[in-house]
Amino acid sequence: MTCAIDKILSQRKILITCGTGGVGKTTISAALAIRATLLGKKTAVITIDPAKRLATSLGLQTLGDHPTDLTDTIHQSYANWKLNHLPSSEDANLGKKRGSLVAITPHTRHSFENFVRELATHPATVERILRNPIFQIFSREFSGTNEYMALERLFSLEKQGQYDCIILDTPPSRNTLAFLDAPKLLAQFFEERLIRWLILPTNKLVSAGMRKTLGMLEKLTGAGFMTSLVDFATALFEVQVKFQANLKKVTALLGSQQVGFLMVSTLTPDSKAEVEHFIQSLKNHHFHLDGLLINRTLSYLKESKQDSSYPTAHRLIQALQAQEKEVLTNLMQNPIPVCATLPELARDVHSVEDLIHVAMALGETPFGTLPLGEHSPSERPHPSK
Amino acid sequence: MVSLVQSTDLSFVLRRNLLFVHGKGGVGKTVVSQTIATALSRQNLKTLWITLEDPTCPMGELRLLSPSLWHLNCGFLPAFEEYLTLKIGGGPMSRFFLQNKLIRYLAKAAPGIHELILLGKIWFERLHYSHLVIDLPSTGYSLAMFQSTQNFSQLFQGGPLNQDAQAMLTTFKDPQTTGHLILALPEEMPLKEALELHGYLTPLFPDNPPAFLVNRVFPTEENHPKPILWTTPLATSMEDYIHKRIWLEDQNLKIWKDQNLKFGKLDFIPPQVKPNHSSGILEVLIQQLHDRAYL
Repeated sequence: MTCAIDKILSQRKILITCGTGGVGKTTISAALAIRATLLGKKTAVITIDPAKRLATSLGLQTLGDHPTDLTDTIHQSYANWKLNHLPSSEDANLGKKRGSLVAITPHTRHSFENFVRELATHPATVERILRNPIFQIFSREFSGTNEYMALERLFSLEKQGQYDCIILDTPPSRNTLAFLDAPKLLAQFFEERLIRWLILPTNKLVSAGMRKTLGMLEKLTGAGFMTSLVDFATALFEVQVKFQANLKKVTALLGSQQVGFLMVSTLTPDSKAEVEHFIQSLKNHHFHLDGLLINRTLSYLKESKQDSSYPTAHRLIQALQAQEKEVLTNLMQNPIPVCATLPELARDVHSVEDLIHVAMALGETPFGTLPLGEHSPSERPHPSK
Repeated sequence: MVSLVQSTDLSFVLRRNLLFVHGKGGVGKTVVSQTIATALSRQNLKTLWITLEDPTCPMGELRLLSPSLWHLNCGFLPAFEEYLTLKIGGGPMSRFFLQNKLIRYLAKAAPGIHELILLGKIWFERLHYSHLVIDLPSTGYSLAMFQSTQNFSQLFQGGPLNQDAQAMLTTFKDPQTTGHLILALPEEMPLKEALELHGYLTPLFPDNPPAFLVNRVFPTEENHPKPILWTTPLATSMEDYIHKRIWLEDQNLKIWKDQNLKFGKLDFIPPQVKPNHSSGILEVLIQQLHDRAYL
């Protein structure tokens, strides 16, 4: 029997995990990558999280721009896990074929420079862009850069063809959509017509209105900024055709059958609105939603027969469980494909061995999402029981 | 022992004219910032609670929530228009400037401008209220707000934008007027991340150390023994989960205490029955702010 998540892993070459901060995206991405490895895939997991959570959860000090090979650790840890656990029928496919795993945390600034080098044909243009003060700040601070560079990295990894499964953990953001909007945001910067206005000599500006506007802008920002801006725009103009072409390729990749999106969410009163909003946005972008991963659930915690030594905490957990149930019921009013419900952990994840536990939980049948009959088969990639 | 991490007493910081609530996503910034703002307003202090570009609220609309308490969901475009009106005068002139496609393009695409304008709006509003409590976006983005304002304003040498940005940053650095509050959760990674955030804020506001507040602290019991079995990160039962959670929280907070780090605590409030879900939590938290003499 193949579980929902393994089906998705076998159908897609690229999986992108999205979700707001604190839902456990990075841990789940790592666990997904481990599962893919155990299914025999040549796997890469990419994370842009600056907080080094991926490294910590893998039991490493740091991870870098160069792929770190974790293959041996994964297989060793799985072997250890099997010493004490019996794989369920869902996990029967695991470990049959030896897959591999690398982890990558791209250095954004570095990638952005490489990106410019790749775009520009003349070395002089590269230097001109890199030395421009606006670019220097832009590459550090533009809020869409991390997201866009993650996509660029994804695209080039896909092109290399070394991996048959790539998991991309999107950067933390307060809303799940920031990632989807990043390419569009960056594209605005490269809008040809607007750059053209900036690089025309003032005396050639056809419209008096534009001349006036630039004058006002200069008054607000000072002359130095305008010089840098014009210089930056001139350099951008040289690379913009290539950028647009690149963007088209990246966007096409995201919309292709190779790529699936997974949303990670917890069950809080805000979840329903967030999940529905995200699903709608994916539809608008014509991207494929493969499912919802519900994380940090408490419902699996069973009460013991004796009186609790911690009555207040006990009541708190019960209240949280009740809230969770209510949120889940509300969430399930619309057909949403839930591919896994994962337990809240009793401690942080510190090693690949810990992650194996999470990877195994990914294979379990999600609870509380029945009745299945209400979901159309195309929308719910869940195995029939 | 002197703490290596410079921090300020919570009760000092909460009473400042401007209060920025920093923290990673999911730590409860919105609820806590609203709690502090409500508590201040109940002391008859004219208070403004600010959220930044909250997609679930209308942008730029000022709402009266209760006597003395206003809420503003600050949006870029309304704030930008307001700023331009101040700088180049209202009427057709600024409208013309704003409607120019190039200006719209620069405003959207140029990093820093967006942040500068939002912070500028906050800075400007401080004159009209006795207290402002700002629910900042989660860490990465909120840091970028301050950093890029600092960096980007250097590009505007000589222009009024630069002068305004410098004046703003001076206010935010000043412990007389502005307080910075770092909100954290009592878990290992969130606590580490709170210290990391502190490290990023220090060079920005060297003479204005933040205060720490740990949110959602689990109800503890005296003298609980260390749990024995730790082999799996999963809990074996509810009792096991609670036992480990309490023990771990204690250990995590002990590291902070051992470092002599000052911090406040708010309890984990059980979700309340509808329909008064959020107002119920708010009342309990306000009571805690009072009982613990934070406010």
